[in-house]
Amino acid sequence: MTARPWLPMLFGILLGLTAGLFYAWRISPLRYTDTAPESLRADFRADYLALVASAFASSGDLPRAQARLSAVPDPNLPASLAALAQQRLGAGFPESEAQALAALAGALGEGPGAASTGSPVASASPPPPTRAPTRRPPPTATRGPTATPGAPFRLAEQAPICEPDLPAPMIQVEIVDASGRGVAGVPITVVWDSGQDRFYTGLKPELGLGYADFVMAVDTLYTVQVAGTQAVVTELQSQACSASDGVSYAGSWRLLFAQPAGP
Amino acid sequence: MSSTLSRLLLGLAIGLAVGLIYGWVVQPVQYIDTAPDTLRLDYRSDYVLMVSEAYTREHDLDLAQRRLASLGPQPPVAMVESAILYGVDHEFARTDLETLNRLVTDLRVVVPQADSSGGS
Repeated sequence: MTARPWLPMLFGILLGLTAGLFYAWRISPLRYTDTAPESLRADFRADYLALVASAFASSGDLPRAQARLSAVPDPNLPASLAALAQQRLGAGFPESEAQALAALAGALGEGPGAASTGSPVASASPPPPTRAPTRRPPPTATRGPTATPGAPFRLAEQAPICEPDLPAPMIQVEIVDASGRGVAGVPITVVWDSGQDRFYTGLKPELGLGYADFVMAVDTLYTVQVAGTQAVVTELQSQACSASDGVSYAGSWRLLFAQPAGP
Repeated sequence: MSSTLSRLLLGLAIGLAVGLIYGWVVQPVQYIDTAPDTLRLDYRSDYVLMVSEAYTREHDLDLAQRRLASLGPQPPVAMVESAILYGVDHEFARTDLETLNRLVTDLRVVVPQADSSGGS
């Protein structure tokens, strides 16, 4: 009975609390008009990453790309970019985007600042690269991880591979620059009698920046060309290999393309 | 009776205040799936700059317009002009301003044709 006088107040508090929450959450919620890229929806986030990569492909400015990427924290950004390149390639986005994403993934994988690109600490800060004191090289100076722009790739090695652990016979391509570093984002065209396909180095950064592979069909002849160059390998066909227990299986090929050392 | 009413109103006021503080400050609505049109002005300007940089290499005006469209319903020319103004105010590098200017120049060639088609 002594608590009864406080019942109206308790009821009022509950009623007011309900009304306050309803007003704050439903009628007039906080409006976020000044968001950062980290809050973007997954598809817009993918667009953002692709745009960063495309801008990087144009400018070759890795620090700027890293600053932009710091706004979308990701613990394993190179792998995410490579996966995104594959997704967008399959989804029909422009090939240049996939190529740019692969090149950026490769550049981040070997760049000195790669470890910091996923740091969430800079997520709330404005993108610094838009400020004046940028020391960008001219757009034509560098293009991603390629060390010797313009120099052609040449076939340096062609070897059959007998690895029973491989899930299927493959054409494994590795592209390196004049200093022996893998080059990501290089398009490779493979042609066979009933079709053709194009794939890119750097989409599997865990296997090397200049690595790419293509699953072969048995009894099919393939021609492999590093796009835009004269580096062509013809009449590639899966060769029969023998396992230690005598069982036969389809073998793979390894192709190494390299830029010749400068004069 | 008036005492009861005053207690009810006092409780209501306290509850309302607590509810608003909790809803707006302690546990506000979380926006985790935002669109680019909500980006802060600096990010937005940088987004436009990225579109311009990509356009420099790709020369695909349709693609650039599609990318700009995700920033909202404003005309693409206006978006790039805003980014240029922001860039001037915030001392963007000259090369960046030139990159933005290149895109807006090419956009102006296309967009006025669409605008003027219905004019007298």
